[in-house]
Amino acid sequence: MADSLSPECTPLKQEYDSCFNVWFEGYLSPAISPSATDAQRTAHYQRKAKEFEDKCGKVYKEYQACLQSAVKQKGIEPLLQQAREEHPLREPLPPATPSSKDS
Amino acid sequence: MHFFQQSFLYDHSWAHVVSGLNFKYPNSRCTHVLSIDVLDRTVDPKTGIIRTERILGCKQKAPGFVVKLFGGSEDAFVREITFVDPARQEATVTSVNLSLSQFATCFERIRYSPAPDNRTAFTQTAEIQARMTLWRSAADGLEKWLVERFEQNAQLGKLGFTDVLRALSEERQTAP
Repeated sequence: MADSLSPECTPLKQEYDSCFNVWFEGYLSPAISPSATDAQRTAHYQRKAKEFEDKCGKVYKEYQACLQSAVKQKGIEPLLQQAREEHPLREPLPPATPSSKDS
Repeated sequence: MHFFQQSFLYDHSWAHVVSGLNFKYPNSRCTHVLSIDVLDRTVDPKTGIIRTERILGCKQKAPGFVVKLFGGSEDAFVREITFVDPARQEATVTSVNLSLSQFATCFERIRYSPAPDNRTAFTQTAEIQARMTLWRSAADGLEKWLVERFEQNAQLGKLGFTDVLRALSEERQTAP
């Protein structure tokens, strides 16, 4: 796994990554049945989101505390703010354009 | 403005490719990526979509004239936003450079979607644009250099990730 931009955050970062990866594999593999109702779907994802928070939330907070101060020290923050303003990217990209070959 | 586009199929399932994304770096063909950090990650409890904002630290091999003219340092950073939609089985990755972004931006979009025969379609587009404040010829030279570099890295990215995916599936097959 890749290092953190700040060496002192690398152990926390790798611990968090490992935690996420274990959760994520389980998240992707048994996809919820296509016939599930909206309510069932929401309940499923809510349970999964909570499970992630319970498992990885603590190490995530420790990692973020370390990372955020490194981002400030390295002077990356203003660039990051500018990028977030230009492209918030809060929503997924729209579906593939009709010109694409697949589908 | 310069454009770049490529698309191809990975011989692995969508779930394998998307979970493999977290293991893409480091790989021996993409040594320019030095660090990866998660800045923000949220799971939408309604849709199940995971949004991840990351920052990648890269070794920048800018031509001497770029560093001399514009300053800049060895370190270059890229902001990357990933959406993984488990219900619709779609993953998109958008990246923009942070470093040198006052002079030029490289806006890259990648989409991973399921394809027949348990394969995964990969589509990548990039728009490379110098900011208008540069002289036309300097801007054009910078864009061309960025496109060349992007093309090289795009090829290496494909080869490197193919290696990683193969190793991961071999690992899984030999696991008890």
